[in-house]
Amino acid sequence: MTVGTTALGERTEPSHSPSPRRGRTWIQRIDVLPYALVTPLALFIVLLALVPAGMTIVQSFYRVQPLDPPNRFDGFGNFRRLFADTAIRTSLENTALYMVVGVALSTVLGIAFAVTLQRRFFGRSLVIAVLILPWALPGVVEGLVWTGIWDANTGLLNSVLTSFHLINHYHVFLGQNRLLTIFAIEIVQVWQITPLSALLILAALQNVPDELYESAHLDGCSPWASFRRITLPLARPGIAIAMVQALIATLNVFDQPYVLNGAAPTAASITEQTYFVSFQNLDFGEGYALSLLITVVTLVVSIGVVGLIYRQVEY
Amino acid sequence: MTSIRSVRAAAAGICVLTVAVAGCSGGGSKASTKTSGVTITVALATPPPPKAALAAFTKQTGIKVNWTNIDWDSLQTKIAAAATAKTYFADATDVDWSRVGQLAKLNWFYPMESYVDTKALAKQMPQLSSFTNGGHVIGIPYDASFLVTTVNKNLFAKAGITTMPKTIAQYTDDLKQIKAKGVVQYPLNIPFAAAEGLSTYWYQTTAAFGGPILDGSGKPQFTSPSSPGYKAAEWMVDAIKQGLVPPGNINVADTQGQQTLMAKGNVASTFGDYSGNVGSLYDVPSSSSVVNQVEYLPTPGVNGVGPNMSNPDGIGIPRQAKYPNAAAKFIQWFTQAGNQADFAGANGPSKVMPGYFLPSQLAGLAELTQKGKLIGGAELAHLLKTSAKPVFPQGAPSWYPEFSRAVYTNLHAAATGSMSVGAAIKAIADQANSLASGS
Repeated sequence: MTVGTTALGERTEPSHSPSPRRGRTWIQRIDVLPYALVTPLALFIVLLALVPAGMTIVQSFYRVQPLDPPNRFDGFGNFRRLFADTAIRTSLENTALYMVVGVALSTVLGIAFAVTLQRRFFGRSLVIAVLILPWALPGVVEGLVWTGIWDANTGLLNSVLTSFHLINHYHVFLGQNRLLTIFAIEIVQVWQITPLSALLILAALQNVPDELYESAHLDGCSPWASFRRITLPLARPGIAIAMVQALIATLNVFDQPYVLNGAAPTAASITEQTYFVSFQNLDFGEGYALSLLITVVTLVVSIGVVGLIYRQVEY
Repeated sequence: MTSIRSVRAAAAGICVLTVAVAGCSGGGSKASTKTSGVTITVALATPPPPKAALAAFTKQTGIKVNWTNIDWDSLQTKIAAAATAKTYFADATDVDWSRVGQLAKLNWFYPMESYVDTKALAKQMPQLSSFTNGGHVIGIPYDASFLVTTVNKNLFAKAGITTMPKTIAQYTDDLKQIKAKGVVQYPLNIPFAAAEGLSTYWYQTTAAFGGPILDGSGKPQFTSPSSPGYKAAEWMVDAIKQGLVPPGNINVADTQGQQTLMAKGNVASTFGDYSGNVGSLYDVPSSSSVVNQVEYLPTPGVNGVGPNMSNPDGIGIPRQAKYPNAAAKFIQWFTQAGNQADFAGANGPSKVMPGYFLPSQLAGLAELTQKGKLIGGAELAHLLKTSAKPVFPQGAPSWYPEFSRAVYTNLHAAATGSMSVGAAIKAIADQANSLASGS
């Protein structure tokens, strides 16, 4: 039995006093306020995310073409037509390459940056601020910036390589060779997504106690051994999240290939095809099906990555 | 406490209801015939006219204009999304010449003949036919863009060429001569990037070789090796194989090539250039190193001067417009000859609409030329009157975007050497046949 004072100075009732809730129905006992406050956000999510997602799933089984009305159930027709389309199959392969290159490079670079930034040094905050800049830039802007670098006629890279006598004549980096084109485009996206990967991994590394490294050092561990046996295992939650964000970004890559390589099948991504199918061909049914496909692939691969990489870490 | 809690809960509940009602309410609206005291939204992929001009329009009509400048691709997406969802997004917006067939079939825009005397306008606007489909005018062209050959006369002169070519054979020989004499390594600019600019370049080259792309029913007219379309594709691909076009152009888009190659004197000619580029790009010292060197050339055709393909920008009224009559008034004002001349700089820089160069009305073009404000104005006016033709005389087919993508992806592939010209033409023709038959 205590009598206290709240932070606002209100006198609280002794604990044995009859509760005002006693004797009320269960409906009256529910505190409506929290539900009322959270409802707008819940509605927002339901109306703008879940309902469209549900409609996408349903509509992907319908023929939805404003040029050929009315909408009609088509079973797996949209999916069949998509897989029969060479351009779609090629773009699926391209997107898989974007994913492999992008996730691998951004993760390796992210770990490298995170490890470099793990220790405090003069100007560290400035380095982090500069590091994050590419992440803040829109993909289209990055595509335009890198056009000036990759351009085969007047690009910076050709100019620099020629100046250093590393090449005799200007090379075509984009559009000629499929693998080179995809790699060159993915470099641009890696430049964009690596900062976030680095920060996510860095956040995980910030929790690693210094004592672990000190003990390892005293036990005669080399820096490489410390990295392999302490840093990497303890950074796994951060690495897993970084890989998933890279995975989502690369599976949905649009701006960079569109700006740097147009619609050429050499490097067109699956999201570019979704745009063409939906808004140029005005075949929304196939567009929904393609979107659903991307979502399912993203979900499955993300779950796989999390299962493979993520481990609960306790210190 | 309970009453305070009840009041807070009630207030929160009202907020929730408001949000829910706002979120669930349909975007559709009933069109109003009001033409004054209203605000209309105009969405175009271009900066607005000067504030003073818009203010004058408001004073004159009582219609306020909310101008939204959206990039072309996003604008097409918005038009499609809004029309499909039957939702309002603008009272007047872009009608691209290439989408006229599609838009007409979809019935997404009001017929302009219901609002404007289009028959009278046709005499002053040669390109109005590009916006007509099935007897309906889907939009009104607000500029007079068409494809035109540009040459750097200084580079031609350096190679000893003083008489400009009149046929495509002479033109090709001249380009070879420029290369042979080492004036420039690559004399010709063809934008081989897989983008719309490559398709329009091919249409222009096909026209120069003397033929159409499709017949009235949408059947391809370019499958035979002796057809103009086939020859045009062969000429373009040969040009890059023979070193007349920079190898890097396989990934250069139209504007990029104009800015980084033609405007810098790296090439001597662009066969399918933009009308207006001499005044707006090549003669602008800040963006060009070939000031006063580039001029327009009547299209070198097979047996003399060939046609120029029209690709004007138009403006129309979407079906979900809130104030279609007010929008029509705006379109009439926006496409008036005098205003167009003002926007293009006939009466001083304060009246200029950024990025606007060529009036769609001949009277506007005449005023501009008369006042000496349009570089190459006399040539352009002549070309517009005599040789500017629609790419598809029967109107662009409803499946044009798919067809165009087949054109530019396959011609791009032929330029990279990953497929032959014959195979590229066959792929384009197969797609056209499939689309025309509706399969």
